[in-house]
Amino acid sequence: MSLQNDPFLNISNSINNEYIKEWQASKKRVIGYYCTYIPEELLYAANLLPFRIRATGHEKTELGDILMVRFTCSFVRASLDLALRGGFDFLDGFLICNSCDHSRRMFEIFNMKVFNREGFKKKVPRFYFSVPHIITEEGFNWYWQEIIELKEELEMAYNIDITDSNLENSIKVHNENRRLLREIHRLRVLEKPKLSGAEALRISVVNSSVPKDITNQELHRIIYKLKESEGIKDLRKRIMFVGSIIDDLKFVNLIENSGALIVSDFLCFGTRNFLDDVQIGGNPLEQISKRVYHRISCPRMMDDHERRLKFLKNEIKTAKIDGVILQRINNCDLHGCDNMLFEHELKELEIPVLNIDREYVQADTTRLRTRIEAFLEMIK
Amino acid sequence: MKEKVIPYKMLLEVISNSYELVWRIVPEHEMQVLKMGLKNLEKCLIDYIQKAEEGLPIIGYHFACPAEFLHCFDCVPICIEGTSYLLAALLPNGSEKYYDLITHWGHPYHTCSSQKGVMGMVLDDLFKFDVITTPTAPCDNTYASYPFFKYKDIPLVITDMPFIREEKSYEFYAEQIKIGLSEIGKIIGQEPDFDKIKKSLEIENQSLKLEFELFELKKATPCPLESMINPMSAAAAVFMAGRPEKLDFYENMLALAKKRYKKKESPIEERIRSIWPYMTIFFDLALCEWLDREIKMSVLLDIFSYNLYDPVDTSSEDKMFNDMARKSMNFPMIKQSIDFYDDFIPEFINTTKEFKADCGIFTSHIGCKQFGSIPQLLREALRDELGIPLLIIDIDVGDKRFASIKTVKDKIRMFANTLL
Repeated sequence: MSLQNDPFLNISNSINNEYIKEWQASKKRVIGYYCTYIPEELLYAANLLPFRIRATGHEKTELGDILMVRFTCSFVRASLDLALRGGFDFLDGFLICNSCDHSRRMFEIFNMKVFNREGFKKKVPRFYFSVPHIITEEGFNWYWQEIIELKEELEMAYNIDITDSNLENSIKVHNENRRLLREIHRLRVLEKPKLSGAEALRISVVNSSVPKDITNQELHRIIYKLKESEGIKDLRKRIMFVGSIIDDLKFVNLIENSGALIVSDFLCFGTRNFLDDVQIGGNPLEQISKRVYHRISCPRMMDDHERRLKFLKNEIKTAKIDGVILQRINNCDLHGCDNMLFEHELKELEIPVLNIDREYVQADTTRLRTRIEAFLEMIK
Repeated sequence: MKEKVIPYKMLLEVISNSYELVWRIVPEHEMQVLKMGLKNLEKCLIDYIQKAEEGLPIIGYHFACPAEFLHCFDCVPICIEGTSYLLAALLPNGSEKYYDLITHWGHPYHTCSSQKGVMGMVLDDLFKFDVITTPTAPCDNTYASYPFFKYKDIPLVITDMPFIREEKSYEFYAEQIKIGLSEIGKIIGQEPDFDKIKKSLEIENQSLKLEFELFELKKATPCPLESMINPMSAAAAVFMAGRPEKLDFYENMLALAKKRYKKKESPIEERIRSIWPYMTIFFDLALCEWLDREIKMSVLLDIFSYNLYDPVDTSSEDKMFNDMARKSMNFPMIKQSIDFYDDFIPEFINTTKEFKADCGIFTSHIGCKQFGSIPQLLREALRDELGIPLLIIDIDVGDKRFASIKTVKDKIRMFANTLL
């Protein structure tokens, strides 16, 4: 049973959607963010819908290219381009942290160029907090303090109170969301996977663009549908997909149409975002901060490569992976170097690895297809 | 023991040869900045190599960790970025061989060459580091590239620098510096001696006074110093930090600038005054001399000379560490990276105004994503506020193959023609 034409998942093809419009129609606000190091639970508790900025389907970067040199990330340039064309005018707030050099600078550029452009009248409050780059006790205390200050700034900017009870409720909704995503992941790593990599990606993308209580209901439905299905039976190479952000199906389809099935991943629109839950009990804001800070990291965390490698090794066993595709968006130093180490480490373990670079907007398809097909042929 | 710092020996050889050549060939009153810079660099390197031969531990450090902090140990501090680029500047074939070694190993082509050089040298077994230390700043290249050293079994000590400049950040980072020095001490088997840091910081404070005076003198028209002062200041900040050679260098520079200022003399027949928001190039040091002589363009400031920090208060240990944190977070490039453009742009406009610059030149370095979204904003601000143009050159400041020196010179010449 395919999820291909599932109307809920079709939201993944668009930026704004009906759920966001309904949310805003009920006098609630939407806040845009780039990186998963933000505390979603805090925003949701404040009736602020966290919307993860992306540029799915947007293939232009010309306006973004004026403001960002060509050595910068094409994902950020595409999203900036879309923003300059009004694609994110629906946002009521903008939250940035120092996740990577490219996206962090959007804090200034959105303020100077996007929200300050001619004809755009809305006042969009912007918020920034600093995330440590290593995982230590002092680092956690810093992060937690930043989140406390962020809460105060949100309360002041929107004239609201965020109570512990709001936070606890939000934690429950988000924990449930992550539990459901993990359940879907378990259906994905089965011997006969119940869903493809493309379908998993669509679920993940929609999950970042719709209120979580609605998503949770839909995920229940999807899980039921998946469980009823026979699963994917045709013999394909089982691939783990690792690296830079991906929110568009084209590249995933390119891999899956070449004779592979992506049965697991290590992506921020993927496993990295749902493996850990917020602990219940104690100070809810502290617990929210703990989850985000201590969860399995992305390469922006400088001292955590070993834990990321351990996750990869475990997942390779659990999901019976035949080969790993490492990829990075050109100019992404973080994933580029993390992938460099993974490549050496996985090859030492005799795990087939393909390490490729790409652009956010699908290009260079023939070269990529040739490399992917050659890699799949090479896997015994 | 002798094999622990081979690139420093390469550097010493090339610096000694260049120094001798410049002294022998160039008339006495010319290229004085270069002569003085090379003389002091040579002294520092002789001392470091001697210490390495005595068996002192080799501590690699990121340029954002001011080298004088490491003076609390008996050690040989090796700047990862400074070594890559000084070799790029002075070796006949640059550091390209080492960039290629690490790129072939899998390091992405777009990552900063300042780290590629020493990473390649480690693969080539030219350095034997006992420990490497870095802050988590200023950029993705740092967080991305330094774990390579750990992979190569070199202990890596990381201090976490907050990406926001507030009072609490200085307090946090001061603690990080203490923790970091303590960890390094454990690895190399030495207790950090804070009195030694104090002495080095006092030298730095004296040097800073001279740098401030020099900064003011460079506002004069014509500028009393050669453009070479910019790359030499970068080299001094890295290789001479906390050492008497730095004082000697700036004392001489200041005396020279004062003498010329009084006589209204300049080594440049100055027609264009330029300011470089980022850096000049390292793969061809002769560019500065060419700008002075051929284009009659003075380089008044680059990123290593336009942002100066406050002196460090050494009256108590707490104050000293707090100011050390302050210094680290206001160091060239670090300040701009952890700060917002909201402050950087107006500050830069003011500096440009004070220096009566006619134009700006921005070397848009492939490795530097932190600065990847500033050139156009600066160009617009300079145009709108001061009516002066900014030339943007896509480049790798340490690798001549990305944009050759001919390309760079052609672009600058054409740009200069539009100004005259």
